[in-house]
Amino acid sequence: MAAHATDENLQQGEIAKPNTAWIWKTFFVLVGITAVEFVFVFLMEPSTLRNSIFIILTIMKAFFIVAEFMHLKHETKGLIWTILVPMSLLVWLLVALITEGSYVGEVLQNMFK
Amino acid sequence: MSQPTTLQPPAASATQDAPRTGTWDGGNEPFKASYGKLMMWFFLLSDAFTFAAFLTTYGLIRHKHEVFVGKAEEFVFSTRWWPVPDRVFNAFPGLHGMDVPLGFVALMTMILILSSVTMVLAVEAGHRMDKNDVQKWLLWTILFGTTFLLSQAWEWSHFIHGSEKGMLMADGTTFFGANLAANEYGPVLFADLFFFITGFHGTHVLSGVCLLVWCFIATSNGTFHKRGHYEMIEKIGLYWHFVDLVWVFVFTFFYLV
Repeated sequence: MAAHATDENLQQGEIAKPNTAWIWKTFFVLVGITAVEFVFVFLMEPSTLRNSIFIILTIMKAFFIVAEFMHLKHETKGLIWTILVPMSLLVWLLVALITEGSYVGEVLQNMFK
Repeated sequence: MSQPTTLQPPAASATQDAPRTGTWDGGNEPFKASYGKLMMWFFLLSDAFTFAAFLTTYGLIRHKHEVFVGKAEEFVFSTRWWPVPDRVFNAFPGLHGMDVPLGFVALMTMILILSSVTMVLAVEAGHRMDKNDVQKWLLWTILFGTTFLLSQAWEWSHFIHGSEKGMLMADGTTFFGANLAANEYGPVLFADLFFFITGFHGTHVLSGVCLLVWCFIATSNGTFHKRGHYEMIEKIGLYWHFVDLVWVFVFTFFYLV
């Protein structure tokens, strides 16, 4: 694991120096992305484009949380794929059911026309 | 020497006391992660499916309903169309009657991200076997987690009691707030999904806080120090970051989109 404090020159019972710069860096990235999201909420009219921007920014935030905070970036390739491949099913589920929802709505709203 | 292929104990021989080092003799770590951490990852994967099912349901039901078309100033709550989130969630504790769109939820998001940071700091301190630092950062995480829960309690309370205006119903009465059968903000399912999704997430935060309190007690007792590693903090940390991760998605799909 890359971010470990591994100081081999330590005496027995001595505690290594904290290595926290990468943690705060990730924190400021997450805060920054959230701030950008708020800029879009207030400065842009709702549209498919705006929603796409939100989803992209959310996936960016998710990447930083999973890769850095949950340390997945530094695990073996096998574990990374084990987690990511089942997730791709969810993308399909989301796209399929949202399309289905629009269709159901259309049918219901035009039923008595 | 060939490796035994069955689970029968090896026949008594001169090598019986030597450690067994074959592939299937135990001691191996698939993916170079410990059993506990691997199982936490798989649990989180299954939990991600549960939350994704909730959010997908939200997407389907929202797309099923009509969208308000017109100027943002002219928007009114109606059961005909899905409400605009920054008109529903515009209250802030202590600022009664003021319009603070998404202000409180922004604060809650910040609190949860901060709690994630203090959690990583606790894990990092555990790697260095620094008991005092682990205790300190666990306490901060518990504090932020509890603050988030209390904020959500306020948010729920406000959502349930509703605005002063309420909504005029077909029978001439005015309905205030929300429950599972009716709400002043829009279609019935809007409030139902709010209660189920944020409630399910809040329950996860509550379990997380309980686990962290237990971790803090065990750290204080020196349990992990005697064990020689603070891996338990890492495993609980994975869970805690997952809860933060879910909130990032709930925040986007419920409050922003």
